Amino acid sequence: MSTVETNMGEDRKKKLLKKDVVSAFWRWTFFSHANYNYERLEATGVVHSMTPIIKRLYGDDPEAYKACLKRHMMFYNTEPHIGGVISGMFIAMEEERANGVPITDEMINGIKTGLMGPFAGIGDTLWQGTLTPILLAFGISLGIEGNLMGPLIYTILMFGIMFPVAYFMWMKGYSLGKSGIQSVLGGNLLRTIITGASALGAMVLGGLSASFVNVTSPAVIKVGEVQLGVQADILDKLLLGLLPLGVTLLTLYLLKNKKMKSTNVLLILMAIGVIGGVLGIL
Amino acid sequence: MTINVFQAFLIGVVYYLGLVGTPWLSLLGSISVLYKPLVAGTIVGFILGDPVQGCIIGATINLPYIAFISAGGTVPVDPGLAGTLGTALALAAGVEPSVAVTLAIPLGLLGTMIWVAHMTVNVTFVHMADKAAEEGNLEKINFLHVVPPQIIKGIMCIIPVMVGAYYGVDVVATVVDMLAGKPLHILSVIGGILPALGIAMNLRAINREGTIFFFLGGFMMAIYLQLSIISIAVFAGIFAYFYTKLTVREGVQS
Repeated sequence: MSTVETNMGEDRKKKLLKKDVVSAFWRWTFFSHANYNYERLEATGVVHSMTPIIKRLYGDDPEAYKACLKRHMMFYNTEPHIGGVISGMFIAMEEERANGVPITDEMINGIKTGLMGPFAGIGDTLWQGTLTPILLAFGISLGIEGNLMGPLIYTILMFGIMFPVAYFMWMKGYSLGKSGIQSVLGGNLLRTIITGASALGAMVLGGLSASFVNVTSPAVIKVGEVQLGVQADILDKLLLGLLPLGVTLLTLYLLKNKKMKSTNVLLILMAIGVIGGVLGIL
Repeated sequence: MTINVFQAFLIGVVYYLGLVGTPWLSLLGSISVLYKPLVAGTIVGFILGDPVQGCIIGATINLPYIAFISAGGTVPVDPGLAGTLGTALALAAGVEPSVAVTLAIPLGLLGTMIWVAHMTVNVTFVHMADKAAEEGNLEKINFLHVVPPQIIKGIMCIIPVMVGAYYGVDVVATVVDMLAGKPLHILSVIGGILPALGIAMNLRAINREGTIFFFLGGFMMAIYLQLSIISIAVFAGIFAYFYTKLTVREGVQS
């Protein structure tokens, strides 16, 4: 703890300006998904948004600069507004690291991988699952009567609510990261946070899988006079949600155990859909 | 009403600007605003000279998509194509808004192909960005992040919509008829399967001991207890608290 505190002394060489953090926020707000893709999703979006941060912190150290680029090219996917809190946190961690605080790649990656799932789940549920339908219901009820205020008010409310929320989360993450990291490094706290966030993340992903993976079988098996609906009479009796669960676990197996590329897994999933659909199994 | 080439082009641009992730209007301005048939239909109405009717048709087409969520890098259906091309064709053909919905729903399924295609092509630019990262070239990563994906996406979005809007109702109706039944069913089956990819990739990224059991726990809570994601997150937070108390103190987790 004491060594950390001496490192955190008055003579901090590298300090982010508020405009760097705010500029990173706007870059993220506009460009987070500009190169959204099946392999690493928002990875290049993270690097793009971090540009002012990376330049300020590592501009004078080519090796650290390059290492930071590579560190943030990893798979990243979260809900970008409420999940902006994660960006704020790892920006603060990079700032500490640039000032000599012993923050490893594993700590930064752990914060990202542990928190991106929960914030994707919570953020998408609040924004796309709750706020959007409420505002849409309002906008549609006006619009369907031919009132152009419907789409207009919908748009204004959407921006007026989500931009301040996103900005608040981003800055909150940054100040949390700044104030939290000294105490975090002192004990087991960072390990606790990463372990806890991983458990939380996996559980929320389970809920997401149940809600968003939608696979059912319309097939009917005829045994003499008896007709058995595969979904209602067989699969649902075994385990509700067996097919969505099976598909998700199969995908995980192909990615993790078989070390397949995500684009190949994508093709396999599409082939399953085509074959299942043609044969009337799915 | 007929749609001229310039109008068809503008409708294509509206679709492109609304597709999730296009940077011009921010992410929110794409997925939450211009991607919604309510807004897209109104703008298509302005382009075709009848914003009020466009707004009515757009609002009607939006109804089945109220609960639309894009999660884990997938879109199960594409309200953007339904809202732009659907409204344009319904306006041009002068059909009732309720008929417009039945025309728009298959378009929404077709749109998922454009989504899958651009998400796949973009992988190339990530690999190029990896090389740029090796060289320590941030400007090149930023260029690869912004410019090539937008060119690809612009072409993939604008041309099909332009052709569809210009050649109009007959062609689109024929295509939709040809695809009716099995092909559209298959597209919706694939739309239901693909969210598994984003979720599995996230699970792989977490990659810790016991991850799978927490995953199963969350899945079962959603299926058998019918809990919402938010309440699962609260329970998960409680479990995670005790789990870390037990494991981290004993030094089990590395």
